[in-house]
Amino acid sequence: MRKFIYLAVIAASALILIQSCSKSSGGGTTPTNTGTTFDRKGMLTNISTNIIIPAYTAYQANTTTLDAAVTAFNANPSLTTLTAVQAAFKAAYLQWQSTSTFEFGPAAQIELRVNTNTYPADINQINSNITTSTYNSGLLANLAAKGFPALDYLLFGTGADNNAILVQYTTGANAAYRKTYLAALSAELKTNATTVLSAWTSAYKTTFVNADGTDVSSSVGYLTNQLVFDYEILKNYEIGIPAGVQSMGTTFPQKVQGFYSGISLQLLNQHLAALKNIYTGASGLGFDDYLISANAKYSGGSLNDGIIAQFAAASAKLQNLTDPLSANIQSNNTAVVAAYTELQKLTVLLKTDMTSSLGILITYGDNDGD
Amino acid sequence: MKKYTTILCTLILAAVFMAGCKKNSTDPTPVYTVPTTYNFANANFADATTRLGMATEVGNLTKLATSGAIDGPRIKNMLTNTNAPFATAAYNTSGIQMLDQFAPAFKTDIISFIDSLVKVAATGATASRGVAGVGASSASPTSKYALTGLGVNYAQVINKGFMGGFITYQEVTIMSNIATYDNTTVVNGSTAQEHAWDMAFGYWGVPIDFPANKTGAKFWGSYTTQVDSGYKANKILMGAFLKGRAAISAKDSKTVTEQAAIILDAFNKLNAAGALQEVQETRAAISDNIARNSRMSEMYGFVYGIKYNPKRSISDTQYNALLALFPANLYDLTLNQLNTLRDAIAAPYGFDAVKDIL
Repeated sequence: MRKFIYLAVIAASALILIQSCSKSSGGGTTPTNTGTTFDRKGMLTNISTNIIIPAYTAYQANTTTLDAAVTAFNANPSLTTLTAVQAAFKAAYLQWQSTSTFEFGPAAQIELRVNTNTYPADINQINSNITTSTYNSGLLANLAAKGFPALDYLLFGTGADNNAILVQYTTGANAAYRKTYLAALSAELKTNATTVLSAWTSAYKTTFVNADGTDVSSSVGYLTNQLVFDYEILKNYEIGIPAGVQSMGTTFPQKVQGFYSGISLQLLNQHLAALKNIYTGASGLGFDDYLISANAKYSGGSLNDGIIAQFAAASAKLQNLTDPLSANIQSNNTAVVAAYTELQKLTVLLKTDMTSSLGILITYGDNDGD
Repeated sequence: MKKYTTILCTLILAAVFMAGCKKNSTDPTPVYTVPTTYNFANANFADATTRLGMATEVGNLTKLATSGAIDGPRIKNMLTNTNAPFATAAYNTSGIQMLDQFAPAFKTDIISFIDSLVKVAATGATASRGVAGVGASSASPTSKYALTGLGVNYAQVINKGFMGGFITYQEVTIMSNIATYDNTTVVNGSTAQEHAWDMAFGYWGVPIDFPANKTGAKFWGSYTTQVDSGYKANKILMGAFLKGRAAISAKDSKTVTEQAAIILDAFNKLNAAGALQEVQETRAAISDNIARNSRMSEMYGFVYGIKYNPKRSISDTQYNALLALFPANLYDLTLNQLNTLRDAIAAPYGFDAVKDIL
C-alpha cells in the first residue's frame, strides 16, 4: 500500500515539475463574438462560385469584345466602328464595377484595380505618350494614363463629337500612334482579365475557400477589407471628392469616374448594386447570414436589417440624380451631397459595426504616420 | 530498505526534473524583479532625449522645403549645436551635440543630403520627372513634397538617416560593448553600464510605460509600432530593455549579454522592417506619382541606412545589390521592381512570411 503512495507521490511530483517547466502556451484568445458556428467555408464557396468567378468570367469576355472592337476600329476607323468600340467600352466598364472588389490573391498580385481604373485620367501623360510615341505599361507613372479612364478620354474626350474624335484616328496628328496606344490599352485590360480569371479557375478558388479563418490573411479577412475598401472608393472617388466634400465645397466635376463618356451614375449604381450583392451573397450564404448568426445588433434591431435599409436609403437618394453626374454636380450639388451623406452612413455600418461584430480587423490605413 | 529505495528514487527523479528546469545549474541566477515600465530609480537618459529633440528640430526645418527655400547653414549648425540654432533654448545651452554620436559615414552623408534638399527647395518649380521642385499628392493635394528631378525626397532620406546613422549606430555601439562598461562605481547615481543602457533606451524614443502608452514616441519609437503587424519589435525591445536593465543593477551579467543580443538583433532587422512597411505605403499610393516617390524615398532611406550599422547581418555585396534594385529615377518605378525590392529586402532578414503585412 505504502509503495503505491510513494509511486503516486513520484508521479504527482513529476507531473508538477514537468508542468512548471513548460512555458505558458500563449494563445487562448478566443474571439468574443458569437457566430463562431457560422459556416464560413460555405459562404466563401458561395461567393467564389456564384459571384467572383462569374464576375471575372463576364469581365474577361467583355474585355475580349472590347479589344476585338478596337482592332476592328484601328483596321477601319469609321463612325460605325467607333460607335462599336464605345459600346464595348461601356459594357466592359460597367462589368468592371462588379469585379473591382476582389483585390486580393491573383488580382492583388498584378495590382489589377489601379491598373484598370485610376482616375481622373492624366491627360498630360496620355498626350505626352502619344506625341512621343512611347508607352511603357509597366511604369507606375502611367497608371493614370491607362485602363478605362484613359480609354474614356481617348474614345469620348478627344473631340466635341464622334466626327471630331474620328479625325484623331484618321488624319489628325499622331493618328498612327494614337491607334497603337488604344490597342495597347485594350489588350492590357484583356490580358490582365485573362490572367486573373485563369488563376481563379485553376488553383486560387481552393486556396480561397480553404482559408476560412477570420485573421487578417484569411479569405474572410481579405474579402471584408476589400468590400469596405472598395465601398469607400465608391463613396469618396465616385461621388464625394467630385462633389467637394473633401475640399470644403469646392467641386471637381471633372474628377468623376467616366467623365468623358458621361456614364458616371450608371457606373456608380452598378457598383453599389454589386457591393450589396457581395454583402448578401446573392441568394446564398453572405455577410447578412454571418451577421444574423453572430446576433449583431444595431439601434434596437438587427445590424443586418440596418445595413439593408441603409443600402436602400442610399440607392433612393441616387435615384434623384441623372447622368452625366458631372453636370448634376454643377447644377444640383445639394442632391449629390445628400446621396453622399446616405452613403457615408453605410460606411460606418460596414466598416465599424460589421467588422467589430464579426471580429475582423480592418488592416488598410488612410495615411502613413511618417 | 525497500522504503528507502523508493524515497531515494523519488529524490533522484525530482532532482533530474529540477535540473531539467534550470537553465544553468552551476551559476545561481540572482533573484530580482523585472519591472513592467522603465521606471528604474536611477535611470537617466536625458541626453538621448535631448538629441532626439534636436533631430526633430532638423526635421521641422526640412519640412519647410515644401514652401520655399530653407536655411541650410542653420540645419548644419544644428548637427554640431553651433550658434544657438535650436528653437528650444535648452538644447542650445545643453553642451551636447548630435554629430559626434553619428556613424562615421553618416557624418558626411548627411551634409550632402542637406545640400540636395536645400537645392530642391530653392528652385520654386513644380516637381515632375527631371524637374526638381515641390509637388502635391494627387489623392490629397494638401500633402506636398520636395522632390529632386530623380524623384527623391531628401527630407525623408535625412529622417531615415537619423534612424540608421545615428540611433541604430548608437544602439549597436552600446549593446555590442555593454560588457566593457564599468558596473561597480556609481557616478551621478548610476554605474557607467546602467547609464549606457539607459541612453540606449532613451534613443529608442518611447515613453517609459511603452507600449501601453505611445504618446510622444518618435523615430524608431514610432516605427516599431508601424511594423508591429508583422514584426513584434515593441514587445521584443521593451522586454529586453527592462530585463537587461534590471539585470545590470542585479549584477547578472549573463542576462545582460543575452538581452543586449536581442536588442542588437532587433535593430539589425528594423531597417528592413521599416523598408518593407514603406513598400506597403508605396503600394497604397501606387497611382499617386508624387506621394509614391516620397514613400519610395522613405524606403530608400531605410535601405541606404543599413550600411551605418557596424553589425549589419548582410554582406556589402548584398547591400550594394539591394541598392541597385532601385530605379535610377524614382518616377520610372514599375510594379515588378517594387515586388523585386520587397522580396530582396525580406529574404535575408527572415521576413518572407510577413513581407506583405508589415
